[in-house]
Parts: sequence; C-alpha cells; structure tokens
Amino acid sequence: MTTPMTTPMTEPVYHPAFDGNGFDPARAEGAGLADTRRHMWTAVRLGWQVESNWTDPLLFFIYTVAKPVASLLLLVFMVQIVGGTGAAGEAVRTFVVLGSALWAMLMAGIAGPAWSVLDDRERYRMLKYLYVSPATFLLVLVGRGVSKLAVGAMGTVIALLFAVVVLGLRVDLAAVNWPMLVLTLLLGLPPILALGIGLAAICLQTRQESWSYPEAFAGALFLVSGVVFPLSILPAPVQVIGLINPVTWWVAGVRGAILPTGASSIGGASSLWTTLTGTQVPDGAMTIAVLLLTGAVSTLAATALFRVSERRARERGLLDLTTGS
Amino acid sequence: MTADVTATLPPAISVAGLRRVYPVKPKPVTALDGIDLEVAPGEFFGLLGPNGAGKTTLIKILTTLLLPSAGKASIFGFDVATEAAKIRRIMNMVAGGEQSGYGILTVREQLWMFSQFYGLGSREGWRRVDELLDAVGLGDQRLQRVSTLSTGQRQKMNMARGLLNDPWILFLDEPTLGLDVSAARAVREMVLAWKGAVPGRTVLLTTHYMAEADELCERIAIVDHGKILAIGTPAELKRRVQRESVLRLEVNRLDGGPAVLAKLPGVVSAALAADNVEAGTEAQRVAVNLVLRDDNALTGVMAALGAAGSRVLGLRTSEPTLEDVFVELVGRGFADEADAEAANAGADHDHSHPTEDAER
Amino acid sequence: MSTLFPTRETTADPRTDADWTGRRAFETNLRALVGRAYPRVRGMGREPSWVFFEILLPFLGTSAFVLVYRALQAPEAYVGFVVLGGAMSAFWLNVVWMMAGQLYWEKSQGNLELYFAAPMSLMAVLLGMAVGGLIMSGTRALAILLISTAIFGVQFHLTDWALAIPVFLLTMAALYGLGMMLASLFLLWGREAFHLTNLAIEPVYFISGLNFPVARLGALGAVAIATVPLAVGLDAMRQLAFPGMQGLEGTPPPQTEALILTAMTVVFLVASQRLIRTIERMARSRGSLSIRWQ
Repeated sequence: MTTPMTTPMTEPVYHPAFDGNGFDPARAEGAGLADTRRHMWTAVRLGWQVESNWTDPLLFFIYTVAKPVASLLLLVFMVQIVGGTGAAGEAVRTFVVLGSALWAMLMAGIAGPAWSVLDDRERYRMLKYLYVSPATFLLVLVGRGVSKLAVGAMGTVIALLFAVVVLGLRVDLAAVNWPMLVLTLLLGLPPILALGIGLAAICLQTRQESWSYPEAFAGALFLVSGVVFPLSILPAPVQVIGLINPVTWWVAGVRGAILPTGASSIGGASSLWTTLTGTQVPDGAMTIAVLLLTGAVSTLAATALFRVSERRARERGLLDLTTGS
Repeated sequence: MTADVTATLPPAISVAGLRRVYPVKPKPVTALDGIDLEVAPGEFFGLLGPNGAGKTTLIKILTTLLLPSAGKASIFGFDVATEAAKIRRIMNMVAGGEQSGYGILTVREQLWMFSQFYGLGSREGWRRVDELLDAVGLGDQRLQRVSTLSTGQRQKMNMARGLLNDPWILFLDEPTLGLDVSAARAVREMVLAWKGAVPGRTVLLTTHYMAEADELCERIAIVDHGKILAIGTPAELKRRVQRESVLRLEVNRLDGGPAVLAKLPGVVSAALAADNVEAGTEAQRVAVNLVLRDDNALTGVMAALGAAGSRVLGLRTSEPTLEDVFVELVGRGFADEADAEAANAGADHDHSHPTEDAER
Repeated sequence: MSTLFPTRETTADPRTDADWTGRRAFETNLRALVGRAYPRVRGMGREPSWVFFEILLPFLGTSAFVLVYRALQAPEAYVGFVVLGGAMSAFWLNVVWMMAGQLYWEKSQGNLELYFAAPMSLMAVLLGMAVGGLIMSGTRALAILLISTAIFGVQFHLTDWALAIPVFLLTMAALYGLGMMLASLFLLWGREAFHLTNLAIEPVYFISGLNFPVARLGALGAVAIATVPLAVGLDAMRQLAFPGMQGLEGTPPPQTEALILTAMTVVFLVASQRLIRTIERMARSRGSLSIRWQ
C-alpha cells in the first residue's frame, strides 16, 4: 500500500522505440551528397503531395488547365480583336500562343518557392521546424519549386494542346528542332528556379499579404522577356534588362526550336541586339550560350540574395513570425 | 457597488445537466457528460482537470462559442444558447499561448483595434488602452510591433485585451501556460488586482498548475471525462482525501524497524521516510512515515515507543496538497471509468465519494 | 476601487450593462468596422516593399499588355482599355487575396473566436476588411491609372460624372460584397479554398475582358456581365470613359449595368450575411470555430 498523501513516483517506462546507439558524432557531420540528394528528393515529394493531394483530381485538373488556358485566351483575344487575321496575324498569334503557354510553367516555378515560404510560415507554422531540420532550407525550397514546375509544365502542355486543337495552332512536328528544344527547356530550369528562390528570399522578409507578389513579379517580367511581343518595341534601356534576363533567352530558345522559321523576340531592325552585334537575330548556339551565361549569373545572384535574406531573417527573428493585417 | 447588491444578482455562472458531444469520426467524443455547477457573482472559481477533461469545452459553451448538446447554462441569468449577444457584452476571455491579432500592428494599435470591437469610443479606446498597458506593465512596449513581444509580454497584452471592455466575468483558459515564474506571477497578481477592484467581478480559471489554483481560487471543481469529480474550497478538497492521519515520526532509535509499529492496532502503515539515514542501526535519528486510521491510534504508538526505549525527537502531521487531491480523484476516476466500460454499465458513476479502492 | 485597474463606468448590475439600445449596438458595429479596417490601412505604411510589389510591378504588368496593342498597332483607345483594366485588376486581386481567404486565415490565427465572442456582428468585421482593402487597392489602382495615363498618354473622355461616380462605387460595393461572400464560403470549404483563389484570377480576367471589350466574347461575355462584378463594372466604366468607342457595342448601357451592379451588391451582401449566420450556427453546434476544442 502506498501513502495516499504523496504523489506516486512515476516508474520509468521502457519502450523499444526509445532504444538508440547513443550519441554518434558522425550524425552531426551528415552524409554529404547522399543527404543532399535525400533532402532534395523529400522536398520534391513533399511539394508534389502539397500540390496534388489537396483536393479531388477534378479540381486539380481545373487548376492546371483553367489558369494557363485563360491566360492564353486573354492574349489571343487581344490579337484577334485588333484584326490579327491573315498570314501576318497568324504569325503574331503563334508567337503569342507559344510565349503565353510557356508562361504557365515559368509562373509556377517562380511562385513555388515563394509560396512555400508563405505557406509554411503563415499557414502551417512549419517554417521554423523545416529550417532547423538537417535538410538544407534552400534545397527544400528548390525541391518545392521543382514539383511546382512539374505541375506548371503540365499546364504548358495542356495550353499548347488547347491551342492546337481549339485555336488551330499549326506545329510541324517534323520541323521541330528536338535536341534544341530539350536542351533549352532543361537549361531554363535553373534560372527559373533561381528567380523563384530570389522571390522566396523577399517573401521571407515581407508580410502575409505577399501572396500576390509572385504574380506581380511575373507580370512585370512579362514586359521584359519577349513573351508576347519582340523586345525591339521597348525603349533601349529596358531592352538591356530584357537581354540580360535569362527568361528572354529561354522563351526565345524554346520558341525557336518549335518554330525554326518563326519570328524571334530578340533582334530585328532597330533592336538593341542588332545594334550591338550587327546580326539580325541570335542563332541557336548563341541563344544557348547566353541562356547558360545569364542563367548561371542569376542562379548565383539568387543564391547570394537568399543567403543575405536568410541571415537577416535569423537576425530579426522573422522565421517564426506570422504577420497579417 | 456594494456586496449587498452582489447578493441580489443571479449566479454569475449557472450550469445544469450540461452535455456536449462532438460528432467526430470514427466515434463521437463526449467532452461534457452532465455538469452541474453554480458560481456566485464575485467568485474566483477554478476548473482543474487533465488534458481532454472537458475544461475548454465548458469555457467555450459559457463564452457562447459552442452550443450545448443538452442541458442549460447561463451567465448572470442570460442563456448561453439564446442570449449570446447579451453575454458577449459583459464577458471576455483570455487563453494561454494566444496568438490573436495582427503582427503588423504595434501593441497599442492592436489593443485599440480590439477596443473598437467592444464599442468603446475612439478616444476612449486609446485612453483605456494606455491605462491598461500601464496597469499590466507593458507601458514601455506600447509602440513595439506585436510580433516582437516575448511570450510573457504577449500574454500581458492578451490580459489587457481581456480587460478592455471591463467585463463582469472573465474566462481564463490556462492563462499562465508557458510563462516563466515571474511572468506567471505577474499575470496572477494582475488578475487578483483587477478582480478585487470592483465587487461582483467574477473569474473562471482553468489551469494545470495546482499551486496557481490553490492561490487564486475560492472554489475549485475537479473535472475529468466530462464530469465533475469534486467541488469545494481548496481546504475542503484537501480534507476529502485526509481520511487517515498521516504523520512523520522521528525517534532516536527504533529496534525492530517500522514493522514493529505497523503491527500495532489502528496503524495502517509504517515505513521509513525516504530521506532516512542508515535505517535501524546506530543512527541518531530515525524518521518514519506513519499512516493511522485515526488520531486515537497515536496513544498506542507512543506507549509502544516508550516501552521499547525509543525517545521521540519529533512528530508532525503531513498536509495533503491539491495535487494529492487531484491524483487521488483523477486516478480513481480513470479506474472507475475502466470498470464501468468493462461492465458495460453505461450509468453514471459517482466519483465524488471516494472509498478505499483496489489500487491502493 | 483600485487605481491599478481603471474601470470605465459600469452600472451596478451586469443585466443593465448587457442591455444595449439598438443605437449602441449599431455604433459598436460601426466602430468594429473601423477597427478592422485599421490594420490594413496602417499596414500600408509599415512595409515599403508594398509600393514596389503592389504599384510598380503591376504597372509594369499592365505596360506589357499596352505594348502588345502597340506592337499590333491597335487603335490608341485600346491602350486606354488596358490601363483601366489594369487599375481595376487591383481591386479584383485584393478581393481574391485579401478578402476571400481572410476568414479562414483569421480562424487559423485564433482571431475568429475572439470576433465571435465580441459584442459585434461578424458582418462588421467583413465590412471593415473590405473598407481597409478598398483603401489599399484604391491607392494602387489610382497610382497605376495616373502613371499609365502619364506614360502612355491615355485620353479619357469622361463627361457623365454623375453616372460615373455611382457606377464606380457600385462596382466596388459589388466586388467587395462578392469578397465578403467568398470569405464566408471559403471558411466553410477550408484549405482547398486557398487554391480556388488562384483559379479566380486569369479565368476571371478573361471572361471579364480585362484587356479587351467584353462584348467581343459574345454569349460568354453576356454571362459575365450578368454574373461577374468585375466584368460589368469594367464595361460600364469603359463605356463612360471612352464613349462611342468601337468594340464597346453589344453590352447593356451603363445605366442598365448600374442596375445589374446594384442587384449584385444586394445579392452578395444578403448571401454573405446568411452565410455568416450559417457559419456561426455550424461553428457553435459542431465546434468547428477553433482548433482547440477539448
């Protein structure tokens, strides 16, 4: 019998789950590349689950289809309304459709990491736990961006199919420069994700209402990427921004690969490109080289920006902050 | 307002046969299973219970956030189900760990915003916010962004929010959760000072900290599995578990050890105290915990010690704490529930009259 | 009485304190409205990044569409259509991002149960969010309009101010009324609703004719005029700002569209009030108002 007046001492409870091998300093070292790969893969999978499991497939389908197709139609109607008929109109329409379809993928890649930051900080309150986990935070965000990009790529494909089936876009598959297409598509991924990481770095510093920032950023990028009109329309100083922007080269490369005889967004009479280089339009090799170069620079710049933002967030205690107004 | 006027008021809280079932899957959860309770105006009332006991559910019903599944509840005579609007004008609530509000605002702005929700005039709101910030000790932080406050400061701000409309009844749901010793004390002192300022102000507190309930509450209900196991003043509750006399006896020697005493009539148990030195040998002081059926058995113990040549160096009674009461009641509650389920009885068990049970 | 806790004047009886006149209840709702609008207005000045992301970048986005028309050598008035559409999109984005999902966010933040427990109507909170949002996006819309007008030389021919002002106000009322209704609906739908906000951007832009006259959409445009406040409001304002412009024919005159907007406002406000009541009833009976429920 125990004395009733005192709190009984709790017996230590044994459970096999508590067994361990004691502290192993090697665990703090991590497993290098293997860890990186695992973290990245986990982030991609997590992102995919977040992106695809949130509701029924029908809504997912609408989400992936409706947005890119509506964006496409918004532009196609603009072209149509101002008399975009005949051969010239057809060329403009094709130019616009390709650019707009690619935008779905780009938009997803840009918004993915930024929304991850906002989602995890404001909605799930998980950002601090993610941050202190052994996984590299940057990689986690990249992983989320990759899964978003995959969803966005579906949107691009669907928008293109819509354009072919409904809008009568003509693409000669035999004429497509497939190696160039695959190469530019792949080379475009790092800079797109880099832009997303750059925005994530900004959202790490801003408040809850930053949800629309990626949208606003992409909208502005639209202006300087030669997506729906050639850069030559822009004033020369703005053309500079267009030329150092990897998205311009990505869009131009993909468009050039799909429609080798179509118009290019870079170059042309009185364009800055032509003034600087003396060539009408950049060829495939040049496009890939500049994409590679601008992509590398933007990736480095985004990584640096992210590191600065990360440090500032730690200094100011922004990682577990919820804002709102 | 005088105490006499308080006496003419309806009960601050009146609860009868209150039940609440949450329709969750896989099977509904009964959070409150027939609660009867009355809290007088001006009373500081505590609810103690383990996690999931139904405390927060009860608070949510009383604060009009949740409807009862069955039974009645009223605040100062206003029915929680049908007169919610009236209740909301005279009550407020503060929960521990509360993160409400907008991080973009300063402390002062945040509270002003809430003051507007309670219908205070704009200028009156600013004035009252400033006064309350001084009162809760946040005067220096008034221009700081809410998102930069420490946990303790945040809770002080929440307390100020809870007092903005000068409520007649304040519901405090674990208000010192996660606070350090001094911040928790500051919150307790704040509540006591506020309550003491005007007769009739009533507080309902839930907490896991027994000492806090003991210090603040005039009456306490111990709740588990949606039922009130015991109710009374802290002293009354402690007395309930003090059916036996518990003594700590210190002697210079005890030949034969405590077993000698355990055999005596009226002695329930005798055991060496945990802090003893080298039991029963050459020790100068032997401490024994004695549990006696009643105080009369002590005469026999003293006689036996005298006959054995032991000299009594000290004798004192051990007081039960609220924690003892809690452990006894809630422990028994769990056991009874298990028995009840096993027997598939389904009938209410009376937890409030504990008897000797099998687990001891 | 302690000076530590100053009290405002109370009567000697809680029953008297709880007995408010209709006027006092109304005033409280009005104050609550101002109180809820307050953080949104204050928030504008707190984060300077707002100017960049919510004025400069959207302006650049609008410019892209202007340049599409310039590249196509479209009539100059089309540039005006785009600029007006760009300005109006500020309100739509605000409705989508800061109204529709807001109550859900308030719930996850723990604010919602404090709102319910306070002696004001949740409609006052929703209206406050709307007014605060309107001030925010109004600033943005005005900035986009002014900058674009200056840079692209848009010429508005607004003559009928007596109609233009009510049409604008009605458009805002219908837009934010819809926002209030969506906020309640999204609270019911939960997390999935957040993704629906994404869906409500480009498709709504398209059927509202953000960058072109909605009449060009034919039957789809007619449906939009009847159901989407952005579509009907934008069309009415285009008709008033660019009278006689080609492409604007085929939709009802602005007077009729004003009536449509009035009807929309009434429907949305009544629906949101009903939904709020439903939400409160459901929340109180199911216990779904807060995350903590034990």
